[in-house]
Amino acid sequence: MLRVVCVSGRGGEDAVGLGECPVVRDLADGGDLVDKLRVKIDGRTILAAPGKTILEVAEENGIHIPTLCHLDGLRDVGACRLCIVDLYGQLVTSCTTKVADGMEIGTQTETVRAYRRTILELLFAEGNHVCSFCVSNGGCELQDLACELGMHSVRVPYTYRRERVDATHPRFLIDRDRCVLCGRCVRVCQEVEGAHTWGFAERGVTARVITDLAVPWGTAESCTSCGKCVEVCPTGAIARKGASNAEMRKHPELVAELTERRARG
Amino acid sequence: MAGRLDVLVCSGGACMSSHSLEVKEELVRQLEAQRLADEVRIVETGCMGPCQYGPLVLVYPEGVLYKNVAVSDVAEMVAEHFLKGRVVERLLFRSETADQIVREHRSIPFFEKQMKIVLANCGAINPESVEEYIGAGGYEALGKAVTTMTPEGVVAEMKASGLRGRGGAGFPTGTKWDFVRREASPKKVVVCNADEGDPGAFMDRAVLEGDPHTVIEGMAIAAYAVGAQRGYVYVRAEYPLAIKRLRSALEAARKLGLLGDRIFDTAFSFDIEIRVGAGAFVCGEETALLASLEGRRGVPHPRPPYPSTSGMWQLPTLLNNVETYANVRHIIARGSAWFASIGTGESKGTKVFALSGNVRNTGLVEVPMGTTLGELVYDIGGGVPNGKTLKAIQTGGPSGGCIPVQYLNTPISYETLKELGAIVGSGGVIVLDEDTCMVNLARYFVEFTASESCGQCVPCRSGLVRMLDILDRITRGEGSMEDLALLEELAHTIKRSSLCGLGQTAPNPVLSTLKYFRGEYEAHIRHKTCPAAVCAALFVAPCEASCPAHVDVPAYVTHLSNGDFAKAFDVHMKTNPLPGICGRVCYAFCETKCQRAQIEESVAIRDLKRFMADYAMEHQLAGPKPGARNGKRVAVVGSGPAGLSCGYFLAQRGYEAVLFEALPIAGGTMATGIPAYRLPRDILEADIDRIVKTGVRIELLSPVEDLGRLFADGYEAVFVATGAMKGQTVALGETLPRGVVTGVEFLKGIHVDGASEVGDEVVVIGGGNSAIDSARAALRLGAKRVTIAYRRAKADMPASPEEVAEAMEEGVEILDMTSPVGVVGGERVEGLRCASMAAGPFDASGRRRPVPSDRPEIVLPASMVIVAAGQEATGELLRGAGIEVAKGGLVAVDPVTMGTSRPGIFAGGDATSGPATVVEAIGAGRRAAIAIDRFLGGPGAFEPEERAEVATDYDEDAYTQEQARAVPPMAEVRTRIRSFAEVRGRFAKEQAIEEARRCLHCDRQQTEDGACCESSASLAAEAKTR
Repeated sequence: MLRVVCVSGRGGEDAVGLGECPVVRDLADGGDLVDKLRVKIDGRTILAAPGKTILEVAEENGIHIPTLCHLDGLRDVGACRLCIVDLYGQLVTSCTTKVADGMEIGTQTETVRAYRRTILELLFAEGNHVCSFCVSNGGCELQDLACELGMHSVRVPYTYRRERVDATHPRFLIDRDRCVLCGRCVRVCQEVEGAHTWGFAERGVTARVITDLAVPWGTAESCTSCGKCVEVCPTGAIARKGASNAEMRKHPELVAELTERRARG
Repeated sequence: MAGRLDVLVCSGGACMSSHSLEVKEELVRQLEAQRLADEVRIVETGCMGPCQYGPLVLVYPEGVLYKNVAVSDVAEMVAEHFLKGRVVERLLFRSETADQIVREHRSIPFFEKQMKIVLANCGAINPESVEEYIGAGGYEALGKAVTTMTPEGVVAEMKASGLRGRGGAGFPTGTKWDFVRREASPKKVVVCNADEGDPGAFMDRAVLEGDPHTVIEGMAIAAYAVGAQRGYVYVRAEYPLAIKRLRSALEAARKLGLLGDRIFDTAFSFDIEIRVGAGAFVCGEETALLASLEGRRGVPHPRPPYPSTSGMWQLPTLLNNVETYANVRHIIARGSAWFASIGTGESKGTKVFALSGNVRNTGLVEVPMGTTLGELVYDIGGGVPNGKTLKAIQTGGPSGGCIPVQYLNTPISYETLKELGAIVGSGGVIVLDEDTCMVNLARYFVEFTASESCGQCVPCRSGLVRMLDILDRITRGEGSMEDLALLEELAHTIKRSSLCGLGQTAPNPVLSTLKYFRGEYEAHIRHKTCPAAVCAALFVAPCEASCPAHVDVPAYVTHLSNGDFAKAFDVHMKTNPLPGICGRVCYAFCETKCQRAQIEESVAIRDLKRFMADYAMEHQLAGPKPGARNGKRVAVVGSGPAGLSCGYFLAQRGYEAVLFEALPIAGGTMATGIPAYRLPRDILEADIDRIVKTGVRIELLSPVEDLGRLFADGYEAVFVATGAMKGQTVALGETLPRGVVTGVEFLKGIHVDGASEVGDEVVVIGGGNSAIDSARAALRLGAKRVTIAYRRAKADMPASPEEVAEAMEEGVEILDMTSPVGVVGGERVEGLRCASMAAGPFDASGRRRPVPSDRPEIVLPASMVIVAAGQEATGELLRGAGIEVAKGGLVAVDPVTMGTSRPGIFAGGDATSGPATVVEAIGAGRRAAIAIDRFLGGPGAFEPEERAEVATDYDEDAYTQEQARAVPPMAEVRTRIRSFAEVRGRFAKEQAIEEARRCLHCDRQQTEDGACCESSASLAAEAKTR
């Protein structure tokens, strides 16, 4: 049996099967070994294809970096700041930063972990994120992040916002108390559906997502009711009507699928 | 067409708001009336610089600059100057040091140290005339660049010049141009960032309003260098005049073929459009600006990609600030070597600063990099007005930081300011005096950036409002030390993880104020006080807050205004039992914070107190009765103000307090160090007597040598208030002849021993109240000539200005910048040798250190030399008790409990602080009494009563009109110097009541939720809804 001693350090007894090594998979896909960049992530040397982001390279190599506003298939904006990594002492968003040869990246430094935690606390306190009576309870990316980052307390007082729920659309509704302003709905509506229904208005803590020119969703003429925004919304903000407490489950991966299929033509 | 006279009227934004256009219209009318319209040409120019003094009128050929010109002054100006050639002197600038008028405008101190490159044409030409711009050398650089240089050559020159982006980041301009030039794209764009969002920044505005062509020319040269065809100027909508002038400048340039196709008959074509902003500070960030230019939401995106690779419409884009472009034509015309010869190693050229805040000369100044902060604030800015002291300098606006006074010698450059935790930024410089609360300042900046956050990224959007919330609570006295820790952590998180420069720099004001003024934050949190008396929720009124004894000034002054003198006296005795003394000699911190000064002058609080104390003495008012005796005894060492105050408040609590005084008279330094013409003996004795009548015992001629003995004798606690009674000496030589004494010895000699030989010529060394006291006492003892030699400048003397003025009236001569170096004389002193000093670099106190000048030494004839250059404590008593004593004999005590390192032994007053004021000692004595009470099992703090506001029974509104401060009668100079009779008189009853009615009752402003005023209340309401 061919023993692969991978330059990414997984050699010896822990040698991965041929099929799992990303470099080999890439070669099998027709890639060229010569073009590869060498980067160090958390001390591990990894070969990466040029044009990929740090996040992509990390995920490919089994290194998990928390994200929220990122979604495969949509343009990356680097807004939530949860995917920050340490790059030579500077903190950069791994979703928007392309790898370069020789980069040394830390994804789990003490600072990075502390800041991710603080950012998450700020997110929870900013809205009205009470899981116990939310449609996405148990199927919420924000909730998952809290578990993943070990957020057991929030050091800033909750604001307990009271935004009006917009249930004017026949099939969907938006509860802005749960919105984290990730912008995925805006991006999917622009880039995948092309309707440009969702947008942002105002700024700072008064910023919010709106439909058309801030009209009730049910009267937004550009909306095609495709439901993609529902699927990509990471929390229970945009929801399907009829889902009750903890019943809402979403399929954001369909965006990546759609995008891929369209690219293949 | 030049006239016999060219009259330039400043029409920059600031002068326009001071009605300079009306002045110009009046000029036109007057010139017509005097039939001079054909000989005198009026030019409306851009900002001349000293905005504080607008409207400004500059008359050539003399170069005379008139300031604060009112419409009513114009007739005289035209008739006297333009017609008869007689300059109107009262409208000219005066030099501060020489107190002379300055005729030629470039010699005005404000302008002397400036070097105008960016602002060369501002205030000198008509911004609406392209001909004047060309006449002053404009567009020659563009011509030179496009006809004789290659794009690479232009970029090379820009690189060699060392110019760095003037928008704030300071990125090397030539390098940025090179990045764009290298991009292989047939289409490129050049953008000018004229968003200028920093509060307090108005340099870009002045350039656009005063010399728009310089920006156009700079952009055109840049476009040629990088290969761009189109340019955009993104101007904030709040600058309508700048937009108007730029628009007409663009039209004029196009008409002359300086913009458009085939410029200077070459293949280079370039044109510029104006785009107007929509009111967002974040659109000053380059990627947000470009998004806004494209018509999208003005939010930034992470970089890379940088605009130089992918900017507007994804084309390679050069984006620079207005001031950066304004430097370009000069560099191309005069060469990079010339530019690089100005400034420091890493920061070349000049920088335009917008000076504002607590500084005399606000406005725009342009100085070479490397100019020190002190030169900027003092030599050019004219220093801090109204007798206030400088506290800090805020640079870089809401992205910047504050720099305290120790760093005044720092030469300004990108690196040096960054090292101090601040930034050069866009060039905003806000001068802050002692009345600034640094916590409130940080809050102000965070409030701004929080409201301007675009909202895209979590740390900035969500974190800044959390920081604001914490800062709000701290200023309301609701903060905790945990809050402070969280504030700092949030600051670091936001700074390092935000998406764009707004979030990355917004925490800077907080971080820099924490770095240098952490004590202020802690005072707000731990002691619920605002040292600068700004955060109204934390005090009764600014006067009360600044009083070291926290006397309820508004209450007693309001009683006086109602004619209730006895009630006023009762209020005063609650916190300060020495009203007679303080009414004569108090430093009057309250008056330095009195808000009445914003109308005319502060209320004469000390004189009112004197009136009240005299009334109490004449009517033998006893004040509060002492508490029932509890059988415990406390010993106090020293009968100065700290000891007397402590004894009094202990007696109020029922303790038997005994004061042990070494001298044969009571009163400490008040008795031995303050002459009777300032503090009459009967007043001193009346105050002390009143205290003794409450059961406090004073044992004179009873020095304490061993503190342990007191405990053995049954005293359960001891308060050491021995003062700082040892005069410091000055190095004058190994052995000194007779006749050289310290101020302390001299004054004590007069009051204790009655000693009085002074001779004919007395020289006093020093600049504090003690020196003035010694000088005026010597005069009264028969000296024919009394001179004070002070080593720094007169303005730096720590003595109160009134004392200095009275001394000079009496004939005391004050020689400043004069430092003693030795004495002349054998057995008896004959003279004092002094070196003449010059003002050197700034020291840590923010004053210029005196350095030897090249002027020769002088010898002042002297039959007596009095050294009044400071005092220190002796500390032996405490050392003997095993308590640590620091330098100067001072003992360290806990600021709240006044306790020393040995339980049961407390200390306060000058013995712990070094020479300070009577009222500080009184405050310390009261705090010690409270602490001793707690130590001995009592409740400690006096029960805080509900503070009742005192109502008035007269029409308050009538007293808000201008009303001059009352002045008490003063003894005539020639008679008063012959005796020690009191110099300052007292208000008559009606005078006192009228003066008291000038009080604005600042204690009344608090609304129910603790907000100090309406704007703060609405902020609190807003915060609740966030």
